[in-house]
Amino acid sequence: MSLIPYILAAEGLNKSFDGFKAINDLNFSLEKGELRTVIGPNGAGKTTFLDLITGRTKPDTGTLHFEQTNDLLKMNEYEIYRLGIGRKFQTPTVYTDHTVRENLLLSLAGPRSIWHSLFGKIRKEQEERMDEILHTIKLTSRAHAKAGSLAHGQKQWLEIGMLLAQDAKLLLVDEPAAGMTDEETYRTGELLLSLAGKHTIVVIEHDMTFVRQISQGRLVTVLHQGNVLCEGPVDKVQNDERVIEVYLGRKKKAA
Amino acid sequence: MNTPLSGKMPTIALAAVALFLVVIMPALNAGGIVSDFTLNTWGKYLCYAMLGIAVDLLWGYTGLLCLAQALFFSLGGYMFGMHLMLMIGKLGQYKSDLPDFMVFLGLKELPGFWQPFYSFPFATLMVLAVPGLLAWVFGYLAFRSRIKGVYFSILTQALTYAAWLIFLSNDIITMGGNNGFTDFRTVLGADIRSPETRRILYIASAVALTLIFIGCKWLTTSRFGLIQRAIRDSENRVLFSGYSAANFKLFVFVISGMIAAVGGALYVPQVGIINPGEMATANSLEAVVWVAVGGRGTLIGPIIGAIGVNRLKSWATTEYPDYWLIILGATFVLVVLFMPKGIVGIPGQIRAIIERRKHRQTIREEDLAAANPSPEAE
Amino acid sequence: MMRVLSGRAGAFGRICGCLAACLFALASPAGAQDESPGSVREVIAKATTTLDTDQQREMVEGLASADPDEVTIWLKKWKQGEIYLYQDAEGNDMAVTLSGDPDPEARFALASVATGEPVTGADGQVARATTDDLYLADTDSKLRRVMKDVTDRMELLSPDPKERVKAVKATGNQQDITKLPLLEQIKATEKNGKVKDALDEAIAMLKLRSEDPAVRQAAVLELGEMGSIASQGAIKTVRREAEEAGNAALVSACDRAQLDIDGHISRVNTVGTVFRGLSLGSILLVVAIGLAITFGLMGVINMAHGELIAVGAYTTYLVQNLFGAGIHMSPFGMTVSIPGMNLTGNSWGLYFLVAIPASFLTAAAVGILLERGIIRFLYKRPLESLLATWGVSMILQQLFRLIFGSNNVQVDSPAYLSGNWTVNDVIFGWNRVFVIAFAVLIIFLTWVVLNKTSLGLLIRAVMQNRAMAACMGVRTERVNMMTFGFGSGLAGLAGAFLSQIGNVGPNLGQNYIVDSFMTVVVGGVGNIIGTVISALGIGMADQSLQQILGNPVLGKILVLGAIILFLQWKPAGLFATRSRSLD
Repeated sequence: MSLIPYILAAEGLNKSFDGFKAINDLNFSLEKGELRTVIGPNGAGKTTFLDLITGRTKPDTGTLHFEQTNDLLKMNEYEIYRLGIGRKFQTPTVYTDHTVRENLLLSLAGPRSIWHSLFGKIRKEQEERMDEILHTIKLTSRAHAKAGSLAHGQKQWLEIGMLLAQDAKLLLVDEPAAGMTDEETYRTGELLLSLAGKHTIVVIEHDMTFVRQISQGRLVTVLHQGNVLCEGPVDKVQNDERVIEVYLGRKKKAA
Repeated sequence: MNTPLSGKMPTIALAAVALFLVVIMPALNAGGIVSDFTLNTWGKYLCYAMLGIAVDLLWGYTGLLCLAQALFFSLGGYMFGMHLMLMIGKLGQYKSDLPDFMVFLGLKELPGFWQPFYSFPFATLMVLAVPGLLAWVFGYLAFRSRIKGVYFSILTQALTYAAWLIFLSNDIITMGGNNGFTDFRTVLGADIRSPETRRILYIASAVALTLIFIGCKWLTTSRFGLIQRAIRDSENRVLFSGYSAANFKLFVFVISGMIAAVGGALYVPQVGIINPGEMATANSLEAVVWVAVGGRGTLIGPIIGAIGVNRLKSWATTEYPDYWLIILGATFVLVVLFMPKGIVGIPGQIRAIIERRKHRQTIREEDLAAANPSPEAE
Repeated sequence: MMRVLSGRAGAFGRICGCLAACLFALASPAGAQDESPGSVREVIAKATTTLDTDQQREMVEGLASADPDEVTIWLKKWKQGEIYLYQDAEGNDMAVTLSGDPDPEARFALASVATGEPVTGADGQVARATTDDLYLADTDSKLRRVMKDVTDRMELLSPDPKERVKAVKATGNQQDITKLPLLEQIKATEKNGKVKDALDEAIAMLKLRSEDPAVRQAAVLELGEMGSIASQGAIKTVRREAEEAGNAALVSACDRAQLDIDGHISRVNTVGTVFRGLSLGSILLVVAIGLAITFGLMGVINMAHGELIAVGAYTTYLVQNLFGAGIHMSPFGMTVSIPGMNLTGNSWGLYFLVAIPASFLTAAAVGILLERGIIRFLYKRPLESLLATWGVSMILQQLFRLIFGSNNVQVDSPAYLSGNWTVNDVIFGWNRVFVIAFAVLIIFLTWVVLNKTSLGLLIRAVMQNRAMAACMGVRTERVNMMTFGFGSGLAGLAGAFLSQIGNVGPNLGQNYIVDSFMTVVVGGVGNIIGTVISALGIGMADQSLQQILGNPVLGKILVLGAIILFLQWKPAGLFATRSRSLD
C-alpha cells in the first residue's frame, strides 16, 4: 500500500452476462485527486466497470472498496451515491420534464430524506451555487426551460452540471464529448481539468484528441476484454504494441 | 415554481369552487332549492373525487398504475362500516346485539376484533391505519424488489383479487361475505337516513376533499413533488441522484391508500352499503378512467373526471343501460389515444396544434425564401 | 316378432362367445340344456300360468342362459305385477299384458306375453278387459329370490366388463355369504384383470361374514393388502364384533388392515392431487401461453386477453350449434337464425375438431383488429396499452351480453371428452387428460412457430431490436400484427378448451386474467419455458394446498401470497432477460 491512500480499489473483479465475460479479473486503483482516462475498444467493459462501481450491477467475484473502509458491493445505487460517487451516463440522462434549474436542485448536495424533501428550505448559498453552476455550464438563459427541450450537447453539459452540484468526491464521466462540437469538446476538457485535484475523476473516452487534452502526462488505462491491458502516459500507451494491435492498430490500418 | 400571475388566478377560482361545495350547496339544500337526492348524489361524487386524487397521486405524479385503489377505498368503507354495523344494535331484523349477518351465520358472540369498533374514534383511526398498513406492507415488498411499471399493476391486481376472495368468504374473516354490510341506522346517535345527517355527511365529504386537495397541492409542489415526478420519468436516474426511490414510492403509496380510504369511509354511510364487489379491479380501473378523462398529473383533473364521468354514468345507465359499458370502454380508448392529458389538457393541446401550424408556416416561408433568394443578395 | 327375437339372441350369442356358453353350462341346473327353452316370452308365459311353484322356479332358473336384457325386462314386469292371466275362449289361462290407454269403461286392450300379438277375443275383435276382470300373475318370496338370483347372475356374467365389475362390487357390498360359491365359480373362468380384482375384493368381503374367525381374519388382512376403500365399513363391523367376542388377533388384524387402507387412500389422494395439479397447470398454461407471446415477447399488456379467450369459447358454441340444431339468437333486438346440420351422436361430436381451428382464427382476427386499431399506437406506452385494452375488454364483455345474453350458454362435450378412466381408485377424467395433451401440443406448436419458421425468426428479430430489424428491411408493422394475431389465436384455442371444462359466459375471461398474468410474470417475461414451468408449479401448488388445507379459497390466497414473496427473491421471474439500457 502506497503512502497516498487509494480512493478506489478494485481487486479480482469478474462479471459475466449469460456466458459473456464483460469484466475479467480486473484490478484497478485510483489515488485521491487523480484524473484518470480509461480507453478501450467497444465491448472492453468500460461501461460495465462503471456499473459495478455505482452499484448498478453486482460482480460475480472480487472486491471493490471506496476510501478503504466502504465496501461498495454491499451497497445499492443511492447509498453509493451518498458516499460521494457521481456518474454521468454515456447517453445524457437528465429529468426531461423538469426545468434545468430543477434538475440542478435535485442534484444539490444535502440530505436526501423524505422529511427534508418536504420541509427542507433551499438556503441562499444553495441558490447561489446553482446560479454559479448555470453560468459554468452556460445554461443561465435556459434555467427555466424544460431539460427535454435542450440540444444534445447542452444535455451533456447539464448532466456535468448535476455532477458539480452534487460536489462528489469521485466523478465517473462516461463519454462526455459524444455529440459535441469541437469547441464544446475543448471547453468540456478545460472544465474537467479545472476540477482535477479537488475531485478524483475517471473519464471514459473514445476521442483521442480529447484524451490527449485532458491526460497531459497523467495515467491512461487501456481496458481490453474486461481486463487492464496496460497503464501509462498517453504517448507510452499509444506506442504499446499490444494496444496498437487490439485498438489503435486497427484504427491505423483503417486509416 | 409558478409565476405569480398564473399562480394566483387559479387559486382564487379554486377557493370559489371550494366555498361553493362546502358552504353554498348545503345552504341551498337547507333552503330547499337543492334536493336531498341531488345533495346525496354530489356527496358520493366528492368521495369518488378523493379516490380519483388517490389514483392520480400514484399514476399521474409517480408513474405507478395501481389497480388496488378501490380496495383501499373499500377497506376504509369496511372499517367505518364495522362501526355502523355495531351501532344498529337491537334495531336489526333479528333483534340481536350481533349484526344480522352474524346471527344468520349462527355466531353466538361478537368476534374479538369487532369489539373495539364500538368506539367511533377507534373506527376512525382504523379507517386510516388498516389501509395504510396494508399499503405499507405490500408496497415495502413490491418496491424493495423493484417491481415497477406494468408488473406493479399486475401485482396490485393480484392483491385485489386475493382480498376479494378473503372478503367473500365468511370462513376466513367475519366481514359479511358476499352481502357485506348494509341496513345502517345511526351514526353518532343521529338517524343516518335523515336529511340533516346526510347534509352533515355531505359537508364532511366536501371539507375532506378540500383538505386533501390542499395537502396534495403542497405535497406535489414541494421538492418532494419534484422527486415524485423524477421517479415517474426516470426512476433509475433518481437512484443515481442519491434518492431512495423505494422509500419515496412507499410514502406516496401509503398516503394515497389513506386518501382513498377516507373517501371510502365517507362514501359508505352515504350510500348505505359496502360489499366485496366494491373493491373489484374494475372499480380501480374505472377510477383510472376518471383521472385519464379529467387530466392526470394535475389535482383538478381527477375531480373534474370523477364528477364528469359519474354524471355521464347516471345519465347513461338510465337512458341506455345496455350500452353504458360500451360508452365507458370507448371513452377510455379514445381518451388514451387522442387526449393523453384529458380535459384539463385540451387548451394546451389546442395551443400546441396552433403553434405547430405557425411553426410549419414559418418554416415554409423560410424554405420559400431560401428557394427564391432575394435579388439584393445576388 | 320371432325374427327380431332370434336376431337379438344371435347377436347376444356372438358377443358372449364361448365364455358365456361354458359358464352357463356350469351354472344352469342339469337338464336345462335338453329341453328346448323357447323364447324368453314363451318361457315367461308358460311359467306364469304354471300352478306348481317348484316347476315355476325351475323354469325361471332356466332363463339364466337367455338374453339378459329380455329376461330382466320380463322378470321385472312379473315382479311388479304387470302380467295378468286371461281366460281365453277355450277356458285356458293365458299370460297377457295391458296395452294402450283404457277405453271409457276402463278396459284395456290385451296383448299376449308369449307372442306380443294382440289377443283376439271370441268376437274376433281385440280382447279387452278391466284389471278387475283379470287375475294377477302372482309371485311368492321364494320365487322372487330365484328371480333375483337369476338377474344377479346375469349381471355378473354380462358381456360388458364394466357391467361385470359393477355387479361384482354390488355383490361384495351386500356381503351375502351364500353368493360365495357363485363368485368363486365365476372367478375360475374370468379372464379380465379388472373384473378379477373386483372379484377378489368381493370374495374377501363376503368372507368377512364367514362363521369361521380364521377365515374372517385372513379376509381382513387380504382386504388391507388390497387397499380396499369399499370394505372400510365392513371391516369396522368385523372389528366391533371381534372386540365383543374378545378375539384380540382379529381386532389387531382389523387395525392393521385399516392402516394399510389409509395408506392406500393417501397414495390415491396424492396421485389425484398431482393429476389435478397437472391438469390445472395445463389449463393455466393454455390460457397464459397466448399472453406469454403478446405480453412476454411484445411487451403489450392486453387486458382484453381474457375476452379473446371468451371469443374462442363462443366460437366453439356457435360451431357446436351449427353441427346441431342451428344458431338462433336475437342480438341487438334482431333475430338471427342459421339452420344447423342437425347431426347427432358421434358425427355431431366432430364439431369440436372444427371448433379448434375456427376459434383460433376468430380470436386471431379480433386480435389483429385490436392491434391495428389501438395497440400499434401504444407500443412505447405500456401502461396506456393496459388502459386502452381494458376499455376494449369492457366493450367486448358487453357485446357478448348483447349478442349471447347475460347467462352462460350451453356447450356440450362430445362423447370422447366426457368419460373417465379409473386406475387403482384414481379417477382420470378424459377432458383433463385431453387438456394436458393439448397443452403439450400447443407448447410444441408455439415452439415450432417461434424456432422453426421464418415468421418465428422475424418475430424474434423484431422483439429483440425493433429499430435494427426495421433497418434490415423487416416489415416490423406486419410482424407485430402477425405476432399479436398469433398470441390472440392461442387465447382463442384456450377458449375452445375452457368451454369443455367450465361455463361459457360473458365473464369467462375475467376469471382467468389474474391467473394468466401471474403465470407469465412468475415464469419470467419473454420466456416460454419459464411460462411452462411456472404454470405447472402454480397448478401443483394450488391443488396441493387445496388438498392440505381443505379450503380452495385459502389455498388460492396462499398461492397469490407465495407469488408476491417469490418475486422478492426473483423479481424478474424464473428466467430473467437482462438488458443493459438504463430504463
